Amino acid sequence: MIYLLEDAINGILMGSIYGLAALGLTLIFGVLKVINFAHGSLLMVGMYAAYWAVLLTGAHPYLALVIVLPLMFAFGYLLQAVVIQPIFKAEREVREPITVIIVTTGVWYILDNLALLVFGPQYRNIQDNPLRGKMIEAGEMLISVPKLWGFCAALVTAALVWLFLQKTRMGRAVRATSLDRDAASLQGINPYRIYNIAFGLGTAVAGVAGVALVPFYNVFPTVGVLFDIKCFIIVVLGGLGSIGGALLGGMIIGVIESVGPQFMTATWTEAIVYGLFLGFLFLRPSGLFGVKYDW
Amino acid sequence: MKSYRILAVSALCCGLLLWTAAEAPAQAVVKVGNILPLSGPSASVGLQNKQAQDMAVQEINDAGGIKSLGGAKIQMLYADSESKPEKGVAEAERFINTEKVHILTGAWNSAVSYPVSAVAERYQIPFLVPVSVADKITEQGFKYVFRIAAKDSWWTRDQFAFLKDLQAEFNTKVSTLAFVYENGDWGKGFAEGWKKHAQAGGYKVVLDEPYPSTATDLSPVVQKIKRANPDVLLLTSNAADAILLTNTMAEYKVKPKAIIASGGGHADPSYLKAAGKNARHLFDIVEWETDVNKPGAKETNEKFKKLFGYNLTGESVDAYAAMYVLADALERAASTDPKAIRDALAKTRLTKGPAMIVGYDAIEFDESGQNKHAALVMVQVNDLGKGLERITVWPKASRRAGYKPVFPIP
Repeated sequence: MIYLLEDAINGILMGSIYGLAALGLTLIFGVLKVINFAHGSLLMVGMYAAYWAVLLTGAHPYLALVIVLPLMFAFGYLLQAVVIQPIFKAEREVREPITVIIVTTGVWYILDNLALLVFGPQYRNIQDNPLRGKMIEAGEMLISVPKLWGFCAALVTAALVWLFLQKTRMGRAVRATSLDRDAASLQGINPYRIYNIAFGLGTAVAGVAGVALVPFYNVFPTVGVLFDIKCFIIVVLGGLGSIGGALLGGMIIGVIESVGPQFMTATWTEAIVYGLFLGFLFLRPSGLFGVKYDW
Repeated sequence: MKSYRILAVSALCCGLLLWTAAEAPAQAVVKVGNILPLSGPSASVGLQNKQAQDMAVQEINDAGGIKSLGGAKIQMLYADSESKPEKGVAEAERFINTEKVHILTGAWNSAVSYPVSAVAERYQIPFLVPVSVADKITEQGFKYVFRIAAKDSWWTRDQFAFLKDLQAEFNTKVSTLAFVYENGDWGKGFAEGWKKHAQAGGYKVVLDEPYPSTATDLSPVVQKIKRANPDVLLLTSNAADAILLTNTMAEYKVKPKAIIASGGGHADPSYLKAAGKNARHLFDIVEWETDVNKPGAKETNEKFKKLFGYNLTGESVDAYAAMYVLADALERAASTDPKAIRDALAKTRLTKGPAMIVGYDAIEFDESGQNKHAALVMVQVNDLGKGLERITVWPKASRRAGYKPVFPIP
């Protein structure tokens, strides 16, 4: 029984970090209406940014956020403004331009291979940081401290993003654009600027996920690919565009991955996760919290 | 935009022209087609192989090439397999039909070497395989396939032989084993060997757990190891999961009496760096280690390290030695005819020269084309005051002087 509890806690903690990684994806989709295939690569960039920030300053991993957040926001903002925006403008008439998906795939390949060129194929992690390898011992249970921090970071980030979207003027403009691009621009909102901001925000959230992962995970050029597929499944599970859905979807996957192996071999949990994914696509394509009818 | 493209294309053409001009042979050359994973998931090991072979070829050519062919130089042609079998086969066909190579080598991944061996056999072009370890590659009755490295089944055999010797030496009984391995051809192949040897050796297997190499969280697997509480844990992992497993096991304080790994990810130069002190006392099986007691090994490693910035690995040594095996065969064949090269390769008995930095005393192929002398060593990761290093411990004859293995892990 205690084993189950221990595994479930690990699953919820790890799952919330998956949810955090998926949050940026769902955010960008909610506004731009395109799946960003480069999301895993953005996560990779965030991890490298956090890695170097911690390595060079020797600071607490979460202090690296001071550097990583603005850096990642600027990176996402510029990526959208310079690379993706021209395609949006060229396909003005289309609501969900497929070509943008192809562009983001290109960005994914370019970023991953650039990282391979610049940083080499080595696996890196930070040997000495205050979080590494720390465990809380609660009776017979062991709970990973860096994952607990990641869990808190996920909750705080999700709450802040939600507050931003609900309470600020800019957030309302973002929501308006996501509801109806043309109607929003009639109200004096420049949709392209909103796209830039949404993309920047999504990238910054990927940066937070990078910071959360760096204390206990390896950094390498193709690390994004491992999380990419998981993020897509989570986003579909939770409902495209839903913040709470991303967190909950992440936790569901985390718990399956963590508790499942106690009853079967670890390879089977992957099959269960994909099975669940298919099931959702058949029975509830809008996900847990997605809107049933598209706007 | 358009002018850029034209510019780029013309620049590329100029480059190609220059390249072909520079490659114009002044004398006879021996063309070697080399298929390696130079991009994709195995890019880092592919590059290590290429660099080792380049160094050997450079040495051979600088020393006057193949003398029986009037000083002919060896010319290496490279193709990227991206670790994909179909890509490897296509490149092999291209090498044979378009480039007219005299011999093929590569392809690192067993999954690529296996189909390529069939292509080589069909066109009767010798295929010299330095490291692909899958048993089946030399068990097809082919006449044109030659392998330097020890095969799969020898690895598991030696792991269990080591385990037996270890128990005798330290008078500590091992009765339960746990198998944890990546869920690919390689890991599953090892697990099958383990199961057979465990049964024969009378061990009890308390955990038999494959896991996906792409897993983002291995703590569930580590929990299973902890709860199964084995005496000895056997691992087959790629690099990212090897690091993750080692670190997670340290976090959850999983301490079997010994952990025996199977090379691969555990032998990757970045593993020790990323796992740090958590890797201490791990046993690993390899073809070769930098502290091997063979003349020339140290110098060759130093030269390599100076050129490329990292130590030779067992795989790169096989790749390096393969080029000298080839040079030796060409010297005896005194011909670039693939059939003659094949016959010379089959009669190889190399006991001296730079190739003998390998951990054994001769390279000689059996009927199937397998190097019958290929042997393996066990190393232990430990810190003797100069940072973590890999120290040869088995067979006892090769053990580093003065080192006593740490078993059971304290």
